[in-house]
Amino acid sequence: MLTMADKEATVYIVDVGASMGERHHGRSETDLDWALRYVWDKITSTVATGRKTATLGVVGLRTDDTTNELDSEEGYAHISVIQPISQILMPDLRSLRSALVPSSTNSGDAISALVIAIQMISTYCKKLKYRRKIILLTDARGSMETEDIDEITKKINEDNIELVILGVDFDDPEYGVKEEDKDPRKAQNEETLKSLTETCDGVFGTLQQAVDELGIPRIKSVRPVPSYKGQLTLGDPEKYDSAMSIDVERYPRTMVAKPPSASQFVTASNPADGDASIQSSATMAGSSDLGPSAGQAALTSVRNARTYQIEDSEAPGGKRDVDRDDLAKGYEYGRTAVHISETDENITKLETMASFDIIGFVPKDKYERYMHMSTTCIVIAQRTNDKAQMALSSLIHALWELESYAVARLVTKDDKSPLIVLLAPSIEADYECLLDVQLPFAEDVRSYRFPPLDRVQTVSGKVLTEHRNIPTRELQDAMDTYVDSMDLSTFGRDDEGNPAEFMPIEDTFSPVLHRIDQCVRWRAVHPAEPIPPPYEILTRFSRPPDDLVEQASDPLRDLIKIADVKKVSPRQKGRKRARDRTKPLSGLDVDELLGREKRTKISPENAVPEFKQMLETTEDLGAIQDASKQMSVIIENLIRHSVGDSGYGRAIEALNAMREELTALEEPTLYNDFVRSLKNKLLKGDLGGDRRDMWWEIRRNRVGLVDKKLSSRSEVSEEEAAQFYTSR
Amino acid sequence: MLKASSDSESKPGEDDSPAAAALKCAFSLMQQRIISNPSDMMGILLFGTEQSKFQTPDERSKGGLAYPHCYLLADLDVPSAEDVKRLKSLVEDEEESKSLLVPSKEPVSMANVLFCANQIFTTKAPNFSSRRLFIVTDNDDPHTHDKALKSAAAVRAKDLYDLGVIIELFPISKPDHDFDRSKFYDDIVYRSSPLDPEAPAPLAPTVKPSLAKDGISLLHSLLSSINSKAVARRALFANLPLELGPGFKISVKGYIIFKRQVPARSCYVWLQGEKAQIAKGVTTQMADDTSRTIEKAEIKKAYKFGGDQVAFTPEEIKKVRNFGDPVIRIIGFKPLSSVPFWASVKQSTFIYPSEEDFVGSTRVFAALQQKLLRDEKVAIVWFIARKNAAPVISALVPGPEQLGDIGEQVMPPGMWLVPLPYADDVRSNPDTTLIQAPDSLVDMMRTVIQQLQLPKARYDPQKYPNPALQWHYRILQVLALDEDLPEKPEDKTIPKYRQIDKRAGGYVIDWGHELEDQFRAWQKENGPRTSSAKRSAPDESAPPKKRTKPSDGVESGDGPNSINDNDIKQHYSKNSLNKLTVPILKSWMENKGLSTSGKKSDLVERVEEYFENK
Repeated sequence: MLTMADKEATVYIVDVGASMGERHHGRSETDLDWALRYVWDKITSTVATGRKTATLGVVGLRTDDTTNELDSEEGYAHISVIQPISQILMPDLRSLRSALVPSSTNSGDAISALVIAIQMISTYCKKLKYRRKIILLTDARGSMETEDIDEITKKINEDNIELVILGVDFDDPEYGVKEEDKDPRKAQNEETLKSLTETCDGVFGTLQQAVDELGIPRIKSVRPVPSYKGQLTLGDPEKYDSAMSIDVERYPRTMVAKPPSASQFVTASNPADGDASIQSSATMAGSSDLGPSAGQAALTSVRNARTYQIEDSEAPGGKRDVDRDDLAKGYEYGRTAVHISETDENITKLETMASFDIIGFVPKDKYERYMHMSTTCIVIAQRTNDKAQMALSSLIHALWELESYAVARLVTKDDKSPLIVLLAPSIEADYECLLDVQLPFAEDVRSYRFPPLDRVQTVSGKVLTEHRNIPTRELQDAMDTYVDSMDLSTFGRDDEGNPAEFMPIEDTFSPVLHRIDQCVRWRAVHPAEPIPPPYEILTRFSRPPDDLVEQASDPLRDLIKIADVKKVSPRQKGRKRARDRTKPLSGLDVDELLGREKRTKISPENAVPEFKQMLETTEDLGAIQDASKQMSVIIENLIRHSVGDSGYGRAIEALNAMREELTALEEPTLYNDFVRSLKNKLLKGDLGGDRRDMWWEIRRNRVGLVDKKLSSRSEVSEEEAAQFYTSR
Repeated sequence: MLKASSDSESKPGEDDSPAAAALKCAFSLMQQRIISNPSDMMGILLFGTEQSKFQTPDERSKGGLAYPHCYLLADLDVPSAEDVKRLKSLVEDEEESKSLLVPSKEPVSMANVLFCANQIFTTKAPNFSSRRLFIVTDNDDPHTHDKALKSAAAVRAKDLYDLGVIIELFPISKPDHDFDRSKFYDDIVYRSSPLDPEAPAPLAPTVKPSLAKDGISLLHSLLSSINSKAVARRALFANLPLELGPGFKISVKGYIIFKRQVPARSCYVWLQGEKAQIAKGVTTQMADDTSRTIEKAEIKKAYKFGGDQVAFTPEEIKKVRNFGDPVIRIIGFKPLSSVPFWASVKQSTFIYPSEEDFVGSTRVFAALQQKLLRDEKVAIVWFIARKNAAPVISALVPGPEQLGDIGEQVMPPGMWLVPLPYADDVRSNPDTTLIQAPDSLVDMMRTVIQQLQLPKARYDPQKYPNPALQWHYRILQVLALDEDLPEKPEDKTIPKYRQIDKRAGGYVIDWGHELEDQFRAWQKENGPRTSSAKRSAPDESAPPKKRTKPSDGVESGDGPNSINDNDIKQHYSKNSLNKLTVPILKSWMENKGLSTSGKKSDLVERVEEYFENK
């Protein structure tokens, strides 16, 4: 079940007076646009939650018109309810955008606007449980009637409304904002508003700070949902009296927050033309009744239609559609289809019972951190069970004291697959729990072997400790110094300015998640504008901090010098490999054996090796041309005599070998000429009928023209090489 | 991609001849690979048999005569149930295997064997990125007196090398004769593949030459050495720059060493024909409004927002997701201990240096790895695996080389990219109360733990096959081969209860008694508490922790949702609790530490209970 977050009702009072349309203190945007940055960010965040209970309203202050409940009363002029409290959807956002523009008046009382907002909340929320909030944005240049202010303070406190007042160029010595030559009336108004927020425990701030902090990501809190409730056992309580069991609950500790996923859409066919389309696209269409969104055409969603095919050698193309109703569920065992009848549906499923069973214990230092396989969970004693809490606490403390972990088998629910988890003790000042993480099973580990990094073993079995791949003492020292100079553990600062860990987890935010969130919300209110750059906070940890780099610059310079790392140019990489590599372990000169045999004719059965060997034993251009010619004929024959696509794989392999060898020999033109003519023949159907699928294979395997980037001897530009892959 | 070949020079009279052991290996490998690499191909060629068999659709070849004394037991393909069945019967039925494993009277030409393998790879698996030939044999010198045949074999081996096929040799020694590679096979085996020049030299031979007398150990050591080479190493990413500091890069390759293996997804099977056949699903995309088929290029991405769609062009989507080029960039270093146990979101990736882009990468990488190992430090890195992949902040954890009992490598030396959670990925702990166990109880639990260490004091994954996965494929095999259903699954993850009882049972019972005593003592001190009140201690000394905001000492400070004790008591006496709203009831109950679950009627009942007991 989803957690039901608190219902909330927020009223934004936005000052749109004529003075808000001005620019101040060298800013390129008007004060209103500046303030709206904050407003849009907050409103779109609320919209993004998609919650019906996250409601808001908007009141315009110093508007040209007057529309509010008390508009007949004195002092309530030039205040307009632009948006009554409700859930906000896209059409509301669009109308808000056109309404929040500077007016041509400077009259309108901020205090009166507060009264209207209080009234709106009061009417909307009645006595129900709501989070009530009023946010006022103003430049405080209008006139204010302060007579009723005590009355208002009382009402705000009674209704438990949170009041936030943000001002354009309000003084805030703590944040370092002080407006020079402040208008005396503004100064006085600021004072009034400030004392108002103080008496009702609200927030008073300067807009600069609010805008600066917009990039700070909001973290969604999720109510903990247990992933296992039951007993943690040691031994089998059903069979042995000596078994231990403790009632526990397991909750997630980490869970990756995924960015919202985009859905696929296409531009709708003109809805005005077809009756049928109107209904389905009406809800999708970014309705174009408003000017600013006219740039966006209506969209319609994409539907996936699935059909099923089986191989049938008699059908054209070797495949035939089959009816979904003729299909049964099954599995592949190797290349054999194993059908499972509906009655046996769960036959391959291992029957299990929910359980959490300790297998044994391991010392902490015998466990390698990289074996962690999953997100982590916490295990605590059943929350209503004091005895279980005491029992689990003894296990936690015993593990802690022994510096050990427990290994346990976990089945979270009946018939779920068993997992093996590692349990570690966690003891904090006021919280004790076990942490768990999944461990790999035998099948989850691939035994890849790699040569050691601290010694080199030669083929003859000799062990070397000095080798170009092994760091010298000097290099090791330089590395040690560099690593020590780039230490992050005390590079950060805590709230009091004391040295602290730099870049703790709580300061790192998922860049993609918040970037998408930022862009979606931006686009919702700025449909025609380009996407803004990412907030600095999202890329802050993409490179080492400048101060640290500065501090470590000498050690780094030394390290670079001693390490003597050389970049391999792309051309060198393509070069023919050293000859000694191609010798067998014995060092036997097979080329010499081959030379005696003198391969000059490439057999189609063994084309790739013989082609390579022919080129290896010659430097003569004539011989290279001859080998290429023979290869071309073999490739064309493979295609010509291919039954269906049966020969295409071999043809591609041969093409690939030819392309690589000729590039390495710096004879790309030989290959390019051939592949051009091959393309021509394929598309014209000269190689035994319709061979377009073979052309598709050439494209897919990227064995087209060799361009200048790949070989300096090529006369083909990158564009031309790319162009080659099109079917013209 | 894989071929096991076997020399059938079997010794009559022995239970497990080398050839029979090789077949058993092949059988076990085949079953294993169907699970772990369901799309990989495998074939089995016997050589030196009296019988010859080779089939090819190519009419130009001369059928079986082309390769005398080569017997193609299973053609190179994704194994079918029939292949498994055939192999199984060979392995289990001695008569059958004896009739097949008859050594030929004349020696087999190794050149011919290698060319036979060449043709199988050429025709059945063109263009595969990894093609390997496993040769299992106990004959270290097949062409003692014929130099020409020896040279011919070397030439055919070179052909295979140029084709990109890697030959792996699994030599078996005889009781009276150690297998000598230098006699013949050092001319056949190459130190690296042409496709992967970076592949390290073959490690010291780990195939323990076994005495043929001891059939079990022969099979066992053959299995273990073949298993270690069974999976071709495939890089997850190649030549990614590892940036140690501004302007200082080396290149590394990434490998997936840990990955959760799960049963392949179910598919649809077409049953109308002679043979059950797998139906492949084909998806076409169409516009919802007109049902016209659409092209990929037309598709726009849009996000749901405020009951509408917010659309982006594909270029914009790319731009939004782009946080720079692929890189592993070191931000700085921290102690390993500063990476909390819980800071994990998925398996880590192994990285190993590569000289392809930067010469000298290996020594720099080695220096870094050794420094970090020595100081128990990690590097904190910004990691983008592919173009437009989401950046992941990871800890680069050094891993030492770990060797097994017979000196074989169990874990490779290198470094591991351990992805760390972002603040967004960290969940807060649920509220609970804390009752600390007294020292005496902890001491007793410590004794229990000390009795029950895992063998060798470490968790060895090899000892724990995934029971659900094994069962799934066991049943599929049974169904595919028409065997009898097994009764009980083998599950090695179930703890050894008898041993636990034997080794620690007494200590656990002591602990249980101590818990009873200590808990009673604790209850006396803290007063008995009804179960409903346990959630949050109502003691004055311990204010309830549950979600109550700090209320400046004012009881009504909670706003319109709060109600004071007197008011609610009045409602109780007037029997009008029903008139209060749910949030008001809940907020009051939370303050009292009562459970707030259930419907309104439950809440009212609980409040009534509260006053009744007062």
